[in-house]
Formats: sequence, structure tokens, C-alpha cells
Amino acid sequence: MENKVFLSYGTLVTPIGIGIDANFHSLKNGISGIQQREHSGFKQENWFLSTLDDLSENRFDALLEKALSDLKKSYSETVLSAPETRFILSSTKGNIDNLPGDVFSSARGIIHRQTNNPNDVIVISNACISGVIAINTAADYLRYSDCDNVIVIGIDIVSDFVLFGFQSLFALSDEPARPFDKNRKGISLGEACGIIVASREKTHTSAVEYLAGASSNDANHISGPSRTGEGLFRVVNKTIERAGIHRSDIDFISAHGTGTLYNDEMESMAFTRCELQNTPVNSLKGFFGHTLGAAGVIEVIVCMLSLEHQLLFESKGFEETGTTQEMNIIQQTHAAPVHTVLKTASGFGGGNAALLIRK
Amino acid sequence: MKITTSSYISAAGAFLNGQQKFTFRETNWQKECYQQLGLDYPKFHKMDHLSKMTVLATELIYSEGHLNALMDDEPELLFANANASQHTDMKFIESYTQQGNPSPSLFVYTLPNILTGELAIRHKWYGENTFFITPQFDSSLFAERLYHAARKGGNWCLCGWVESKVDEKNKVTEECFLFLVALTDNTADRSSFAAALDELLTNYRNGNSGNLNR
Repeated sequence: MENKVFLSYGTLVTPIGIGIDANFHSLKNGISGIQQREHSGFKQENWFLSTLDDLSENRFDALLEKALSDLKKSYSETVLSAPETRFILSSTKGNIDNLPGDVFSSARGIIHRQTNNPNDVIVISNACISGVIAINTAADYLRYSDCDNVIVIGIDIVSDFVLFGFQSLFALSDEPARPFDKNRKGISLGEACGIIVASREKTHTSAVEYLAGASSNDANHISGPSRTGEGLFRVVNKTIERAGIHRSDIDFISAHGTGTLYNDEMESMAFTRCELQNTPVNSLKGFFGHTLGAAGVIEVIVCMLSLEHQLLFESKGFEETGTTQEMNIIQQTHAAPVHTVLKTASGFGGGNAALLIRK
Repeated sequence: MKITTSSYISAAGAFLNGQQKFTFRETNWQKECYQQLGLDYPKFHKMDHLSKMTVLATELIYSEGHLNALMDDEPELLFANANASQHTDMKFIESYTQQGNPSPSLFVYTLPNILTGELAIRHKWYGENTFFITPQFDSSLFAERLYHAARKGGNWCLCGWVESKVDEKNKVTEECFLFLVALTDNTADRSSFAAALDELLTNYRNGNSGNLNR
């Protein structure tokens, strides 16, 4: 018999709030973190970004410090420092200002110093699916290793490096991102840190049960999604199979929905192939922007808020169907019975990941 | 958990199951290895060094046969290194600080897991994939994750430690160590498996003929 795994939220630090309650309030009121940032582009273009205003110079480290300080308000040092507690850091680029040196060493140091945890920090850098993979990895540690809690930290910041890169790919939107909408033009980059505490025991009121998760690859292209959604199709099916549920049990899908033409189209293909096209679905990229390695973690936290408050959040920026396959995009935040939630992510390198949670 | 096949490539040469297959003379030893393997895969030439080394070392493992027989989602890819995509990161930074424009063809390789994508494309693998960053080769992390994969019912993992790092004097340090693991073979516990892995990599790094009796 496998151990059960529960997920609780630790904290959420985003441009729309510091802490879980502040973010919940903003989401409920439709407040987005995306704003036009002057001269942010390579040629001084004014891109739309979801960025934090009050971070000091060393922005990655400052954000991590802030999130861990907030985590310590709700989780005791006894839990954080225990040898049976592991830390997983999910980030695409870490502290990029440390290049050409180690971009993850400062994060390891901050986590050790703030928590006194004796274990090596497990770092996962798997593009935009890092966060979902990190939670799936945490569940494996709880099920199969000697481990009571795994703290999953998803974090990335907006840097010139990443912004200029997406700009060079013509992937940025010149207005706030509009996932799945007919007039979507691309992504809005965002920065955030989310922390989830995965445990064997249901210790926190926000706890939801983690059912299963998986990852897959499109085997198609390193920087473009598969036209048929093959990888996402496979990973959703595998996750449903592992969880031992029926697809009709899924009340809501928290999709990846970056707001690019090709990604959102691919997701509509995959969900339709999975016969999930009628299940309510949203993308949170219209609120937080695309936060890369943090995205999976912060979006699962919002799924937990949907389960806790029985509330489905709008897919911000969506107005009109803009994918070949029509989906049931959530247009207005509304109360609804929510018990089982599917979270998916897709990213560079052709990776896809999914997980299922239930309350 | 049993290592059925391993390969190692670096500027010093290419090795399969502890035996040296090629030695390299050229500075561009990755291209030389590609030629010695007789590969015809034009995409190779567009790849970053991490992906090139991984593709080459996988071809060596492929020649041993096990991988041919697997289903398309069967080999789980478990990779790690210490410096993520640092080498390409530095080239990409140079493209916009010194060469006038951020290069999209470099940017797409500024994530370490791109190499698992390249492998998936090359071999049409749709299975699980994870990329870890550890300060040095962490045999116990591999052992632990392989144990998890086995517990979840997996059959095969293709694992790799792939590094391409450039220092301030532009000196590049590179190596690629791959090992194919049969998860269903229950002959090793995690700590002895980790110890065997460490020994194998040490032998490869020292250029010794590895001892494959595990």
C-alpha cells in the first residue's frame, strides 16, 4: 500500500499579492499583475510584464528570501529543519546574475540558512514544466523514500536574458497575454515564487490529496509544440490511468495556456483528443504572466484555492474562441462544485507534465 | 536496478561499456565522433554541445541493442549536470551584448532539458523526462530516482550526466556519461548501486577500462 500524499499551500509571492490571502483576494477581484513596463525590451520596447516592484538589486535572492520568511509564519522550524523534510527547487534559470558561476548556489545557501535543513536541495530545471515535475517528484519521495514532508519552491524572475530571448523568438505579446483568445498575440512574462508543502499527513486546512502525475515528451520539436498535442494527450491519459479515476470525474482543468498561437492551439487539440473539451478550463497566465519555472507551482496553489473556496477563476484575457477545437473556457469567476482538478504544463524541449489533485 | 550498458565521451575519446571505441584528434571532437559513428543526422550540426554529446553517447548505447526493443514511451530520461546550460547561456549573452542582437537559435538551447527533447525527437521517445542540477555527480540522487521509477512500474531508464562549462579564460570542460538501467532487475540496493555508479564514472574519467562486473 502506497503512502497517501497531501499538498498544502505554503506561500505565494506575486505582483498581485504577498501571501496566499492577498493573492486570493486579487484573483477573486480580477486584478492582474501585468503592466506595461517602459523600455523593458532589447530595443527599448515597452513590453507588458508581471513584475514585482519592491525587490532589491539581487532580485532572485531577494524574492526567495521573502517567500521563505513568509513560509516560516505558517510552518515551524521543527518541520522545516527536520532531516525527514526535503526541499525541491523548481526554476528555469535560477539567479542568472551569477553567470558564468553557479546560478543555483545562492538559492541552496538561502534555503539552508533560513531553514537549517540538513539535506541537499534537489534542483529541477526542466523548462516550463519544472513546477509540475517538482510536485510529482515530491510525491515520489513521500511514497517511496523515508520522507515526511517535501517543500516545493517554484521561482523565476524576469531578466533581460529571458525577455530578450522571447523577444528574439517573436513570442511576446504587445498587450497583456490573452490565453486561448482569438486575438492572442503571445506571452507576457512574469515573475513569482510559490511554495507548496507536500506531506504524508493531512496537517494543514488547505490540504488536498495528490492522486497521480506524469511527464512526457512530444518527440517533435525543441521550441514549438506538437500540432497534434501528442505529448500532452499521452501525459493526461497516463495521469488519469495512474490515478484510477474516470475522465468524467475531472471538474476543472488548470491548463498551461501561454497565449501563443501554437501552444494554445496544441492544448485545444490534446484536450479534445482526451475528450475533455467540455470540462471547464482556464489559464492563469492572464493574471501572473508566464512565470516559467514557478508557473506549475503557483498554478497548483490556485487550484488548491479553487478546491478550498469552491470557486472557478476566470481565464483572464479570454473573450472569443480562438482555437480550432472549442473548449469550455471559464469566462467569469463563479462558484461551482470542484472536487477533482487536473493541472497540466507544456514547455521548451517538447516536455509535458500533468497531475491530479482532489479534495 | 542494473546498469546494462554505459558510455562516456569527452575530448579524450569515446567509450562503451568500459572499452575505448574512438580517440579524437580534432579540436572539434564532437564532429569527429559524429563522423566516426557514421551518423547521417543533419540536425546534429545545429545543436548545442550538451545535445551533441548526448546524441553521440546514446548512439553508442544504441549499438548494444537493448534500446531497439523498447516501446516508444518506455525509456524514462533522467539527466543531470552541475551547470545547466551555462556554456550556451554565455554565448547567448554575447549575442546581445556584443553582436548586436539576441540570437533565437542560441536562446532555444539555454535550458538544459533541451537535450532530452533532442533525444526524444531523434529516437521518437514519448516517455517521462526530468533534468536535475546537482553541484557534482550525485549517484545517490540517481539511485533514489531510479528506485522510485522502479516502484512506479517502469522498466527502463536512460540516465545521463552531461556537462559543458566554459571558464573565464574561454576554456571549455565537457563530458557526457550515459547509463542504461534495467529497472526490473532487482539485483542491487540503492547504496551499492550508487557506489558502483561512482566507481564507473571514476574509471571513465581516469581513462581506465571500466570494470563492469557489478
